[in-house]
Amino acid sequence: MNKRTLTATLAAVLLGTLALTSCSSTAGEASSSGDSSGTLIVYTNSNSDGRGEWVTAKAAEAGMKIEIVGLGGADLANRIVAEKNNPVGDVVFGLNNMFFETLKSEDAVSAYTPEWSGDVDKSAGDAKDGAFWPLVEQAIVTVYDTNTVTGADAPTQVSDLWEDAAYDGRYEVNTSLGQATPQLVLAGLLAPYADKKGDLGISDAGWKQVQDYYKHGSPAVEGTDLYARLTRDEVDYGVLPSSGITSRDAEYATKTGVISPKDGVPYVTEQIAVINGTPRQGQAEKFIDWFGSADVQGEFAAEFASFPVNEKARAQALPEVVALIESLPKQDIDWSLTRERISEWVEKTELEYLP
Amino acid sequence: MRNSSWASMFRSPFVVIVSLVTLWFVATFLVFPNANLLISTFLPQGQFSFRAIDKLVSSERAMNSLWHSFALAATLAVTVNVVGIFIVLVTDYFKIRGARMLWLGYATTLIYGGIVLAAGYNFIYGRYGFVTNAVRNWFPEIDPNWFSGYFAVVVVMTLATTTNHMLFLGSSLAKIDYQTIEAARNMGASTMSILWRIVLPALRPMIFAVTVLTFLTGLGALTAPLVLGGTDFQTIAPMILTFSKSTGSRDLAALLAVILGLATIVLLAMMNRVEKSGVYFSVAKVATPLQKQRIPNRFANAAVHVAAYVLFVVYATPVLLIVLFSFLQSSAILTGSITWGDFTLDNYATVFGTPAVLRPFVVSVVYSALASAIVVGGMLFVSRVLQKHRNPVTTMLEYLLHIPWILPTILIALALVMTFDRPNAMVGGQVLTGTTSLLLIAYVIVKVPFTLRLLKAAFASVPESLEDAARILGAGSMFTLRKVLVPLILPTAAAITALNFNSLLDDYDAAVFLYHPLYQPLGVAIKASTEGENNVDSMSITFVYTVLLMIIMGFTMYLVYGRGGSSTRRRKRRAGTVTVK
Repeated sequence: MNKRTLTATLAAVLLGTLALTSCSSTAGEASSSGDSSGTLIVYTNSNSDGRGEWVTAKAAEAGMKIEIVGLGGADLANRIVAEKNNPVGDVVFGLNNMFFETLKSEDAVSAYTPEWSGDVDKSAGDAKDGAFWPLVEQAIVTVYDTNTVTGADAPTQVSDLWEDAAYDGRYEVNTSLGQATPQLVLAGLLAPYADKKGDLGISDAGWKQVQDYYKHGSPAVEGTDLYARLTRDEVDYGVLPSSGITSRDAEYATKTGVISPKDGVPYVTEQIAVINGTPRQGQAEKFIDWFGSADVQGEFAAEFASFPVNEKARAQALPEVVALIESLPKQDIDWSLTRERISEWVEKTELEYLP
Repeated sequence: MRNSSWASMFRSPFVVIVSLVTLWFVATFLVFPNANLLISTFLPQGQFSFRAIDKLVSSERAMNSLWHSFALAATLAVTVNVVGIFIVLVTDYFKIRGARMLWLGYATTLIYGGIVLAAGYNFIYGRYGFVTNAVRNWFPEIDPNWFSGYFAVVVVMTLATTTNHMLFLGSSLAKIDYQTIEAARNMGASTMSILWRIVLPALRPMIFAVTVLTFLTGLGALTAPLVLGGTDFQTIAPMILTFSKSTGSRDLAALLAVILGLATIVLLAMMNRVEKSGVYFSVAKVATPLQKQRIPNRFANAAVHVAAYVLFVVYATPVLLIVLFSFLQSSAILTGSITWGDFTLDNYATVFGTPAVLRPFVVSVVYSALASAIVVGGMLFVSRVLQKHRNPVTTMLEYLLHIPWILPTILIALALVMTFDRPNAMVGGQVLTGTTSLLLIAYVIVKVPFTLRLLKAAFASVPESLEDAARILGAGSMFTLRKVLVPLILPTAAAITALNFNSLLDDYDAAVFLYHPLYQPLGVAIKASTEGENNVDSMSITFVYTVLLMIIMGFTMYLVYGRGGSSTRRRKRRAGTVTVK
């Protein structure tokens, strides 16, 4: 082998190893874990519509340097569980109680009692162990546009939608069961039918409800907002979290009516917790004390039309939000059963009942 | 070319080193993490359960979706080849007026895809699309839902996946020896029979490679069926996505993915077999650049022109619409009534008004560029060794390198996070979870099979005589590779790099689990700004990002192909001179 070939071979080897291992050498300095000072990494699914920027700016005013990592609910929960042996984030907020129950059972969050614990209804969070604490409450509501549907035509019970042939195909059903809202709809549908002897803890009558709900509905169209479908008369009814109503009425010139069933609607509570194993425990606790306080939650509510759990903060919430929430009774849902079973329910629905 | 003796393989230090590095890579990043994940999914309590199989078989919906995915893949393997070969012939083989413009129109699928592409076609032909509306003005009895289901999905995906044909078949076509065609003509062969008996057979290795890719795209179809499939034609990918995100159902996701993956591997094995038989090569020994052919039959000529221009319009309209829509309010787009008052710059203001909007672009450009350069650089050596030395070890390596095709990106990403969350001896005792490197590794991994397939096909089409000549003249294997082979496959390698770069640019599936909090990539940023309960303008924002991505991707393609056909021609000529020497 001549000299030139040897050099070339060496170069190739260098290139090859460099190519394949350089990956690991670029890392070192950028590693986020391991040091106890520095930027606090805040995981949330509640960063859209400028919320992330708002929290970052307000935290900076309060002397805290944070970096928001915003991901969708299911993705975020999966990421935290996957990282639990070497956590990247320090605090997580915005996920609903169902996701937090999962994080707790995976030991991915650790208990901490915030300064404002006395201002919130403990039963809205983790009353038993105090692993996570409630921030914001949301109702999952069935809506319609009062411009096209008069209040008298609207059903009084959500179940009328699939039991009365008049509504056949006129209500939207969201089939992306990986997302939080469709899961809550499912939980709400099944909640009255809990039956220890039934399949997955639900009686046959309950599964019949789920089957009929999806069978008579019009599946959501990927990339098309519910309100766009309402305004072009594709459907008359659909489900969304209560906080989305105000901005849509403004954009689509609709006037939203809400179906308020006697048994209530599902409510979810967004929570906050320290991620287990963070090196920045002190900073994380400081952030929680600050973010959940009556002042900050009140300002947040006024800015983003949320309904805070913190009773002192409610005075600052928008009046129309308070009025809507107070007009909607809470549905009785067994959350511990729901958390335990929801992934099986989703699986069964996905395999058997989706259109 | 096919040297299966072990001795010759180990005689060359180059081969030995490439093999060792590949073995390490495969073991560390492909086999170990995924085996970990699959074992914990399928054997949760240490023993195999048939739960997943039972569940799937008893679900009518799962079986239907699975069947739809296979039907779609099989259909696409035919339709994409028909359309793809047609557009390659129209732009590169036949003399067609305005071929350059046609090429640009057909090339639009290079710079956009996914939900935006499906939505674009839906806005034109869908229930509220303007073509549907216009036609219904004349013929009110036409079903407004005509463009949905199997038919619509096949049409849209056929048009969207001709990208590979354009790039790779195009460059293979350029390598055909024109003298063979001239000789055939002198012997009285017709245009049709030259095409059928000489041109297409010479393109076979590349046609096989892109057919495998097309089949795979069909199996994994996600957004087109979601947007256009309606309730009658849903595929399996959305179900895999939902299941892989839930710990309890991950075994179902993995099983479904493995079924799809095995189908791909079977197809791959069949193609490898045909490729091995290798009797059909009619590649130039002395390559004379191809000259464009006139279609002698007047009627046929007119028909081909018409078809080419109709296709051009079909290809180009959605892109123009997306640019237009990026200047419109969401409500106007979605409700389908557009007036002059709806035009606005607000969408661009929203995107550029976000603090640090450029940062995700920079992060993604750096990641994508690094990953695509690394993967093409590495696979250049690997595919060379795999193609040159065929023995059980290299065959096994080749199949193992296709693992990323079998598993969905989400599972690969999760497996990486969970495997490298503790010091791992395979990577020098480092913890990779939470570092910037893990996403780069994931990007390299997911691009390995695509790159390997096409590079192997490119190597296969290089005439053996060139290598023999080099060896006889005393060139070593590295020298031959560097000076003789690489220049010949450079156009293909450049095209793969560009395609990898473009497809990684707005990746979400891998990034979501792996990105470092301080370096947010574009896909995550787009998702963040388009999702959210109050974000009613999401569709418009998506269009703005798509337009910005189109600009970057268009620029990438310009760097590779741009400066016109002139550079390609120059390259061809250079390839010719190398051969003559």
